[in-house]
Amino acid sequence: MNQALFEKLSKILVPIAGKLNNSRYLQVLRDAFMLAFPLTIFGSIAVVIANLPFLDKVMSENSLNTLKEMLGVAPNATMGVMTIFVVFGIGYYLSKSYEVEGVFGGAIALASFLLLTPFVLQVEGKEAVQGVIPLDRLGAKGMFLGMITAFTAGEIYRKVVQKNITIKMPAGVPPAVAKSFAALIPAVVTLTFFLVVNIIVTQIFKTNMHDVIYNAVQAPLVGLGSGIIATMIAIFVTQILWFFGLHGQIIINSVMDPIWNTLSLENLNAYTKTGEVPHVVSKQFIEIYTVGMGGTGMTLAVIFAILLFMKSKQMKQVAKLGLGPGIFNVNEPIIFGLPVVMNPLVIVPWILAPMVVTLVTYLAMSSGLVPPPNGVAVPWTVPIFINGIMATNSLAGGLLQVVNFLIVLVIWFPFLKFIDRMNLQKEREEGQDAAKSAS
Amino acid sequence: MKRILLACSSGMSTSLLVTKMQEYAKSVGEEAEIWAVGQDQAKKEMAKADVVLIGPQMSFLKGELQKEAQKYGIPVDVIDMVAYGMADGKKVYEQALKLMGDK
Repeated sequence: MNQALFEKLSKILVPIAGKLNNSRYLQVLRDAFMLAFPLTIFGSIAVVIANLPFLDKVMSENSLNTLKEMLGVAPNATMGVMTIFVVFGIGYYLSKSYEVEGVFGGAIALASFLLLTPFVLQVEGKEAVQGVIPLDRLGAKGMFLGMITAFTAGEIYRKVVQKNITIKMPAGVPPAVAKSFAALIPAVVTLTFFLVVNIIVTQIFKTNMHDVIYNAVQAPLVGLGSGIIATMIAIFVTQILWFFGLHGQIIINSVMDPIWNTLSLENLNAYTKTGEVPHVVSKQFIEIYTVGMGGTGMTLAVIFAILLFMKSKQMKQVAKLGLGPGIFNVNEPIIFGLPVVMNPLVIVPWILAPMVVTLVTYLAMSSGLVPPPNGVAVPWTVPIFINGIMATNSLAGGLLQVVNFLIVLVIWFPFLKFIDRMNLQKEREEGQDAAKSAS
Repeated sequence: MKRILLACSSGMSTSLLVTKMQEYAKSVGEEAEIWAVGQDQAKKEMAKADVVLIGPQMSFLKGELQKEAQKYGIPVDVIDMVAYGMADGKKVYEQALKLMGDK
């Protein structure tokens, strides 16, 4: 592979990456999930406390159940109803991106979503309860309908606003009053649209939009995304993008996050109810078992390999610089300093190691050897080992990372050794040149 | 007073470079305000800057940021990859100065 080919490829990749990154919808989606993030962390902390492994030894079963009940409201109020925040966020940020009043866009998106939500709880074999919203419709199960509805609602709302079909107030009316009137017609138009949709679906087809979207869109997409093949492709593309110096996650995540986050939510719901985790692959699987090992490409092991076994000054310097940030999963020093970017000498371990580790992790978890991440949100900057234990609520989760760390180290070792030898030779020659010119 | 804005995905990886650049500016006795932000804030923060430097992993932002930067008449460029990787404060600081000089 030569430099010209690299440059040609990166000329093709850069605009694609830019388009994906700058796509209005993907940007709005990213911001909307960010809105839910602090709430998710709050809920996660409560779940972690309620499930601390030693609690059953120091507490009676009764008081443990009371504790779980007291803390259980925290995940229910945050992750349990995450679709609400995502829907509001999409409505808000989408309107704002069109420079239309955001907060009304958010409220209208939320109302539109609720218009499609059945206010009835049907449990098999029992009489339907009226006037309640089943919690899971506002959480994982309603996620895709929520996203689709919020984008549609936001688009209708802003189009009506931009067409200027609003009620104009005479000068002198307080701005807040004028604003609420300005949103009136767009709101009525948008909500009417969803009301009609709901009437058609419920009255004519005798079903509801939640079930339609869940069965036709969400279940198949999420099923596909939770498979090992899709996951490996995502990892592969991320590594390739970074190899060309582009931020792989920003690009891949904007496509995969809706699926991965939904899987996480389903995991957490099941975990808090039954203690079982249904999906191996989820947002945490990706974050903790790939990025959470020293950054993209799991380079903390590379840093250790260099510090322990390599001799060339240039590599040592990069590794020293990369160690501090690397512990917190920031690894730009390695990616651009070693460098990984456009470096044909490291492309093999750079792509191979994360794929092998992902496969090993998947097998370890699907075989039941190590519990999969239970959906508790762990920030991606939490160091290796600690984040593995936190995400799985088990020591095994941390130990698996240690095994993975060693796998990365072994795969990289021969390649690093080769570069080291080359560097040493160069450094020696430079030293000789310097000595010659000095004498 | 030179005001240099660095932008990357979330402002985390460039913050290391910020410290190094500040150290360098201080060592040569220049007064400089250098700060890092994520891509979402970059457009807003630009109003306060004399020059914008983008982390190489976000090089695809250049076109978009450049459009915005024209409003303020400030230069935008991608940080040199090797200098970025080695967190070479001196080199990146000089890159910023050179861009500002080109104005």
